[in-house]
Amino acid sequence: MILQQPETDTMIEMIKVSKIYPPDVTALSDVSVTIGRGEMFFVIGMSGAGKTTLLKLLCSMETPTNGLIEVAGKPIHKMKGSALARLRQKIGVAYQDFKLLDDRTTAENIAISMEVSYKKPDIIRKRVIDLLEQLNLSDKHDTITGELSRGEQQRVALARAVANSPTLILVDEPTGNLDAITTERVMKLLNKCNTSGATVIIATHDGSIYRNTPHRVMELSRGRMHAMHGGESV
Amino acid sequence: MNFWFTVFRQVGRNLRQTWPSQLMTLLTVTLSVLIFAFFYLVYTNMLTIGDKLGDDLRLIVYLEEEPGPEMQQQLLRKITSFDEVEAIHFISRTQAYDRFSQQMSRNRDVLEDMPRDFLPASIEVVPLKTLRGLKQIKLFSEYLAKLPGTIKVQYGKDWIERFYSFTNLLSIVVFLSGSLLILTAVFMVAYTIRLTIMGRQAELELLKLVGATNNYIRTPFLLEGLVQGLLGSALGLLALYLLFDWIKDRFSGPGLFNLFEFTFLPVQTFLAIVLVSILLCTVGSFTSIQKYLRI
Ligand SMILES: Nc1ncnc2c1ncn2[C@@H]1O[C@H](COP(=O)(O)OP(=O)(O)O)[C@@H](O)[C@H]1O
Ligand SMILES: [Mg+2]
Repeated sequence: MILQQPETDTMIEMIKVSKIYPPDVTALSDVSVTIGRGEMFFVIGMSGAGKTTLLKLLCSMETPTNGLIEVAGKPIHKMKGSALARLRQKIGVAYQDFKLLDDRTTAENIAISMEVSYKKPDIIRKRVIDLLEQLNLSDKHDTITGELSRGEQQRVALARAVANSPTLILVDEPTGNLDAITTERVMKLLNKCNTSGATVIIATHDGSIYRNTPHRVMELSRGRMHAMHGGESV
Repeated sequence: MNFWFTVFRQVGRNLRQTWPSQLMTLLTVTLSVLIFAFFYLVYTNMLTIGDKLGDDLRLIVYLEEEPGPEMQQQLLRKITSFDEVEAIHFISRTQAYDRFSQQMSRNRDVLEDMPRDFLPASIEVVPLKTLRGLKQIKLFSEYLAKLPGTIKVQYGKDWIERFYSFTNLLSIVVFLSGSLLILTAVFMVAYTIRLTIMGRQAELELLKLVGATNNYIRTPFLLEGLVQGLLGSALGLLALYLLFDWIKDRFSGPGLFNLFEFTFLPVQTFLAIVLVSILLCTVGSFTSIQKYLRI
């Protein structure tokens, strides 16, 4: 619930953000970008460019060395405790390394993001089945995720990220292990989330998903903003 | 509703994953409650016995000769000038002989040949109930011993002294076993909860990332501590009750045990022990989870 701040069109505000991993690995330097509510936004660049770091800063998994980050009008890097928890419930993240619980079933993994905001069990059940259908994983409902292929795990991670209908969705290399048809399914799901109002940020080096996109594409190179393409539709 | 559903499911998962160490902790808590409650029970019963002994306490002042009525008045004044007393009885030689022969009952014939005045006359002083404590009684007896014409004063000194030092020792044991209870409850529970936390580090990390509040993460562990305390103390007290019953049954013939009425812990104490155990175990679990949440 936003109390002190009026609803604005800005979802993300980054001003001169730098991240230096100790001892001296500069992953991001002086990145400034504003991303609007309901926007779909691509972050591209070679491996090691700083895409993952950028996403981690946005969900406060890492703290910036310098600069200001605001998510939904709140300085997320300064937040703690239940305020941070409540903000995170509104952010769905599909991590590059998935972060699935290997000893739980697919359904249980997806349910976690809804359980923390106390959704009703039968609502959770329906949502899980629906998402698995959209991602062509219906037969994996009760499979332990440790036994799934990389491509399947990737989709489970994505399903968990979008399950709780977050207002901000961060996706890190969503198509790295997928064939063309499954990639299309994944992008269809993300577009659907975006159409229903969520801000979606996708970090990728897979040209096939951002080529010809009407959305903005930010290119990072060695931690610096190299170029910004598109944006007519914003 | 949904909150408690999630909490209970989490507790279930924790138990399934770490039940051997949970069981060990439960046993430890049970055992320490049993030990503490056992000594406490013995201690309280000793105190009741002590009270009864105090009620029956009499100082017997043996006199050189039978006091005449005038002398009796003098002695009476002297005694009451030291302290108020409950009652004073003068016992003449013949009264002493009659009492004694009554006590001898079956072996009365032994006394046949004895002269009727072989026992000395005495004064039986019943001190006030407020005259408590060994020291005061000692002082009183010393005072009585200095009265003119007394041979000696008797009140079962050795026995009472030994009894008092025994209850003193018991109070130390109660204190020690109470500390043991506190230590085991807090540390064992803290330790098992820490084990659980370490076994589920990945999951707890993820929970934080998807926006679980500290309460969401903490409550299952606190509940676990609470259950440990509740079950542990209930089992410990149940074991003590069975033990108590068994001992009472075994020794319910004539003998020392029937001299005094042994009572079990009153309900208030019973509840207090359960509540304190619950509190201690919850605190133990709380410290562990707080240490984790702060990281
Ligand atoms: N935890 C970390 N500690 C130290 N260096 C890191 C860490 N994470 C990433 N880096 C470094 O930061 C740079 C950017 O990494 P990353 O954000 O993962 O890039 P990308 O996702 O674009 O491949 C790389 O040089 C990487 O080695
Ligand atoms: Mg990356």
